[in-house]
Amino acid sequence: MSDKPLLEVRNLETFYGPIMAIRGVSLEVHKGSVVTVLGANGAGKTTLLKTISGIMDPEKGEILFQGKHIEGWEPHKVVRAGIVHVPEGREVFPLLTVEENLNLGAYTRSDKSSIAKDKELVFEYFPILAERRNQEAGTLSGGQQQMLAIGRGLMLSPEIMLLDEPSLGLSPLLVQEIFDILKRLNKDEGVTMMLVEQNASAALNLADQGYVMELGRIVMNGSSARLKESEDIKSFYLGHTEEGARGEKRWKRKKTWR
Amino acid sequence: MNANAASDKITINGVVFNAIPDARPVTVDGQDTIVKLFAARCKELGSRTAHREKDFGIWKAYTWGDYWTHAKWIGMALRKLGLQRGECVSILSEDRKEWAYFDLGIQAVGGIASGVYTTDSAAQLAYLLKDSDSRFLIVENEEQLDKFLEIEGEVPGVLKVIILEDEGLHDLDHDRCIFIEELYDIGRQADAAEPGTFDAEVEKSRPEDTALLIYTSGTTGMPKGAMLSNENIMAAITAGAHGLPAKPEDEQLCFLPLCHILERDVSIYFPLAAKCTVNFAESPETVFDNLQEVSPMTFTAVPRVWEKIYSRVLILAQEATWFGRASFHLALKAGQKRTKALMEKGSVPAGTALNYWVWDQLVLKNLRRMLGFDRMRRGGTGAAPISPELLKWYWSIGVPLVEGYGMTETAGIATINTPDENKVGTIGKPVPGVHVRIADDGEIQTKGLNNFQGYWRNNEKTAETFTDDGWLRTGDVGRVDDDGYVTITGRLKDIIITAGGKNITPAEIESRLKFSHYINDAVIIGDKRKYLTALIMIDQENVEKYAQEKKVPFSDFASLCRAAQVQDLIRQEVEQVNKEFARVEQIKDFRLIDVLLTAEDEELTPTMKLKRGFVEKRHKPLIDDMY
Repeated sequence: MSDKPLLEVRNLETFYGPIMAIRGVSLEVHKGSVVTVLGANGAGKTTLLKTISGIMDPEKGEILFQGKHIEGWEPHKVVRAGIVHVPEGREVFPLLTVEENLNLGAYTRSDKSSIAKDKELVFEYFPILAERRNQEAGTLSGGQQQMLAIGRGLMLSPEIMLLDEPSLGLSPLLVQEIFDILKRLNKDEGVTMMLVEQNASAALNLADQGYVMELGRIVMNGSSARLKESEDIKSFYLGHTEEGARGEKRWKRKKTWR
Repeated sequence: MNANAASDKITINGVVFNAIPDARPVTVDGQDTIVKLFAARCKELGSRTAHREKDFGIWKAYTWGDYWTHAKWIGMALRKLGLQRGECVSILSEDRKEWAYFDLGIQAVGGIASGVYTTDSAAQLAYLLKDSDSRFLIVENEEQLDKFLEIEGEVPGVLKVIILEDEGLHDLDHDRCIFIEELYDIGRQADAAEPGTFDAEVEKSRPEDTALLIYTSGTTGMPKGAMLSNENIMAAITAGAHGLPAKPEDEQLCFLPLCHILERDVSIYFPLAAKCTVNFAESPETVFDNLQEVSPMTFTAVPRVWEKIYSRVLILAQEATWFGRASFHLALKAGQKRTKALMEKGSVPAGTALNYWVWDQLVLKNLRRMLGFDRMRRGGTGAAPISPELLKWYWSIGVPLVEGYGMTETAGIATINTPDENKVGTIGKPVPGVHVRIADDGEIQTKGLNNFQGYWRNNEKTAETFTDDGWLRTGDVGRVDDDGYVTITGRLKDIIITAGGKNITPAEIESRLKFSHYINDAVIIGDKRKYLTALIMIDQENVEKYAQEKKVPFSDFASLCRAAQVQDLIRQEVEQVNKEFARVEQIKDFRLIDVLLTAEDEELTPTMKLKRGFVEKRHKPLIDDMY
């Protein structure tokens, strides 16, 4: 890991109309690492990714990518800079084939031979996509569509992938499979990832660093190992239940975020 | 205190008090105990609203009749279940109408009511139950019940635990636990079986009986139970009515813990005399919304709450349009000019008054309505020092905010400023019936019928607290000026003697630090050391806002404390304070406490003050780092 972060977000504030969805978030993603942002519904995780990828404009704050200011850039410029956003709910093009979807992922690139190489790489990691390359994407299962969405992202040969809840709506087994692949992609191919998740245990197993967001703010951050040990993370995100005197404990402890 | 004096009466807002507040017996409308006054009020006011509480989002009213009936059932049931006169009952709940019902129901049958903070741990609960020898425990819900179940083996003396909310507890089968409805049933039957007994029990109460036990949070050592008698409370009610009169049609908001003498006085005992209506806030988090809904005539809070409201207004102003900002600024200026004239000369020149009137109509009135201060006659602050600047700011927006002083041992009231007699920066004049003197070592000592009876089963501590001639040692150091206003300068026990042999009262420096909007609390270190240093707890909200504005990146609280700009900000604040003090009293270095402390933490009192002893122990590495 180099000293200068690949992606740096400073004091970001983003609004949905009058509602402040992100209230001053700062975080760093270093090259080659996986950083996860955890949080409940409405914490502002997706908004954060959308602001980074240019779909939404920040009201305040800075986004530095490879040392350059990219806040407020149009999304297509952000993509060209090397940031790919794998959106929540997959969003593959349903009427195009798997292969056409992948080709669209490489839309901004012109070097045919390296595109072909990357496609082989995608097929290597997701053999099922190779098998179904000529099938319409809309006919794939949810897990396969997620794989396609990730594959499509990889086709850009990105500097960083922003992954918005890849586990959404998938069976535990599939989640395991996809996270294993993400892990390999990170370890073997060195893909940098920023992962937004509600599935905290899968995300913390994959990530090096984690941030916890609540109501548009970071309330806790640290190495995944440290977060996994935190009592608050255990009881609010990992679903551990404390044994009360009556055997069960329905009420929750107060969050302290230490 | 001559014997005839008690017959001289005065009427304040329709209630008859002793004209000479320290004359015995202390009576309010002819009643000499809390429960006799309670009985008289309930009979007189029957169907009028005593309390309001929010139920599924709607404010519901509960009458004085409900107050009486429920207190009667509680009292009769506890008596039936084995409560003897003079025994304790502990209440572990957030503020709600049942808190008041239990407080008076327990006292009516001769019991002693003792509150437990909901933030206390199971171990602290065990200590309080054992120390007070409580026969019954009232718990609010399953969270609090679990604390009892954890330690039930240690407290065999507790006969029954009464649970207020049954949510999540339908399967509970425990022979020492009953739900409140069952208790009411027992009380109803007991009352039917022995009609008139409850009234007879109320009549048995005497002024000298201990009515309540209040455990002092104590910044050092184990909590001690201060015994307050009926007479103590009646004296506090009388003093309160003389200095801070309330009217029958007044609305109040109850939100500070009722275990604390301040809220207990203001929301349970004073209304018994004043006949006003108490609205219970839904939860500590919703206070500001509830405040707006209720729009109380009088509002008593701790400095922290006044700080928060001030910060909210500043944020509102910042987010307004430039026109809104400019008008707020001008309105505030008009208010400040008026406040300055009022405080320095005691009167306002016609021009200033007119100018203020215009801005009040245009801007300040709206602001007050947004905050829920539009009907406010008087705001009160106590329990911790407040910044004079903040007080003046409130006066400038048209909220007469006054500071008072009291402690558990003086039944919560000793000196107060009033909107008419107010000297900002002082804690005011002694209330009617309370005498104040300054001892040779500078300690403030008080005498009055409100001074407590002593500590529960702790004669040694009681003896330490009173002087040989019967004055109460407050432990606070201070002075009295020519007009009789008292100023506190520090705590006697906390006096630091530096390695150079210099005596320093840290509280004075600490409260100066606290007056900064960026500093929540501070502890000065320096006993037997070469120079002074400070451990500082920053105000999360305001410092976060500062960092956000100055584009200082931070993620969690620890990283906020680490940020160089934040350190610089606090350094500036510290240097500002240093300018006001002598050379030996300079703070040479400081460290920020980088964990966000909550009331559950041992380092904080339930009123969120840092406990010196615990802080010094817990953060020893930080302290050592500075020397």
